Amino acid sequence: MTVELSVDPPPEKPAKKPAAKAGPAWLVPGAVAPIQRADPYLDIETYDPEADLMVLNLGPQHPSTHGVFRVKLYLDGEIIVKAVPFAGYLHRGVEKLCEKLAFTQITPIVDKNDYVSPMMNEQAINLAFEALLGAEVPRRARYLRTLVAELQRIGSHLLWLGTFALDLGGALGGGSTVFLHCFRERELILDLFEALTGCRFHYNTHTVGGNRHDIPEGWASLVKQALTVIESRLPEYEELMTHNGIFVKRTRGVGVVDGELCLELGITGPMARAAGVDYDMRRDAPYHAYDEVEVRVQTETAGDCQARTLVRIREISESIRIVRALIDGVPEGPICGHKPIKIVLQERSAGGQAYAALESPRGELGTWVIGGGVNKGTSPYRLKIRPPSLHAAACLPYVLPGHSVSDAIVILGSVDPIMGEVDR
Amino acid sequence: MKGAPKNEELEQLLAAEFGVTEFPADAPPLVDRTRHLELATKLKALGYRLYVTVVATHYLPQAASKAGPEQPEHFEVATALRKPTQGGALAAWRCKLAVGEGIPSLVGLFAGADWQEREQFDLVGVRFDDHPDLRRLMMPDDWEGHPLRKDYAIDTACTPWR
Repeated sequence: MTVELSVDPPPEKPAKKPAAKAGPAWLVPGAVAPIQRADPYLDIETYDPEADLMVLNLGPQHPSTHGVFRVKLYLDGEIIVKAVPFAGYLHRGVEKLCEKLAFTQITPIVDKNDYVSPMMNEQAINLAFEALLGAEVPRRARYLRTLVAELQRIGSHLLWLGTFALDLGGALGGGSTVFLHCFRERELILDLFEALTGCRFHYNTHTVGGNRHDIPEGWASLVKQALTVIESRLPEYEELMTHNGIFVKRTRGVGVVDGELCLELGITGPMARAAGVDYDMRRDAPYHAYDEVEVRVQTETAGDCQARTLVRIREISESIRIVRALIDGVPEGPICGHKPIKIVLQERSAGGQAYAALESPRGELGTWVIGGGVNKGTSPYRLKIRPPSLHAAACLPYVLPGHSVSDAIVILGSVDPIMGEVDR
Repeated sequence: MKGAPKNEELEQLLAAEFGVTEFPADAPPLVDRTRHLELATKLKALGYRLYVTVVATHYLPQAASKAGPEQPEHFEVATALRKPTQGGALAAWRCKLAVGEGIPSLVGLFAGADWQEREQFDLVGVRFDDHPDLRRLMMPDDWEGHPLRKDYAIDTACTPWR
């Protein structure tokens, strides 16, 4: 965009704000200042010969690691000196497996990556395939994808909220109150998906060029009922979590990640927005039907565990608003622009590369796909999934040192890594 | 490259300073591997501050055919950066590596490149020079071979887990 400068510039007004406050364009004003990063490559031999360091392996089976993830902690007393995360316990070789499968066979495989929001995986992979194969998605399918994406975001954030309360444990009376409340509400979302696709999880409802299951009769009213219930209970979570003095003490100022570190690490999504990064692919690089609906990006400035909680709770309300705005205006028409799939090998690509990404509940979930694989190009030659959780978990060596072990559990929970996606 | 809008800014930079003349419509432009780090530094200064991903691909040797001239065994490393602002402009480029050649690491510029490059080293076997901690990320440390190479069959026998 070019801006025409007037020949006669108006006299300069005195700056209202001190210059130090004006940050870069991608940060909201007042965002947290860059933190003192810990050195992830610290040589522990030279740290302090006098210190009596203890090595503690957090995980891989610890319940607060949300799966199988190991962090090797070097402790000086109870304070972490160095943290070395180990991934790969859940590595299944999804990318290698996809090189042998046809494009239409891959959707149910990637369902299991981010097992908290399977819809997002399907959409992300099919967006890339559609870009590679040049498939058109009809308008009704784009609306339907937007609807299920936002419903999935509600369900995913609810599950995170419940398990985060469990991580905080004793601070919230065991945490199981919030946990059970969140799972009760998440059940409503799963019921909606069951009505739509016949499955409660791992749906396999998206395909190249559209969707496979059309909206059933009366689904819109079911969605509205469920949203009313969830919305009426959101203030309870606010009270149980953010208005709880112990919760605030355990999360405020803990695990601060600044916006610059977020971008360098490739962290997007609620974690970056909690640090003041004003970026959301739904608004800034719209896909599906997001260009037809207003998306209000939720940001916080503190960048700590409390800010991440606030951002995610507000994103639930925001998703409810987006679904309400779209649910009555779903256009009529086909839900799949392609021929119905009779043989799985009908999609072919001679070559070329494509990258497409969307905003999953954890950040930018992208797929890099190179066409022209085995069986005359009916499979991808190479497929790379860009998992937001892997980038988020990579912040741990920079953030954990200086915190106590109990804080490490809180930070790990607030980062929200899904191990199926980290390891693939 | 498909899926992302054409990036004029990147193409002008590559044409003016990196001597790139070919901009294929369906793939990112090819850049000399020795100037990989220089390009990333320039792009970061231009506002591409979000580290997106790195993808290494293995290509087996190919005889000359209708599809193209003879190709020796080689690797391609594609890198993508993004502007975290309106439009979310994506800058992606590829570097071609012969067998045994390495590529400069971006860890000094982008901390997130650490794990991503370790993963590509682990699964594809591309060496990232000057990486401070180039270990396997996904597979066990004593694993033999690189699973995402094209000559690594999907049913290659593996030693039992110890």
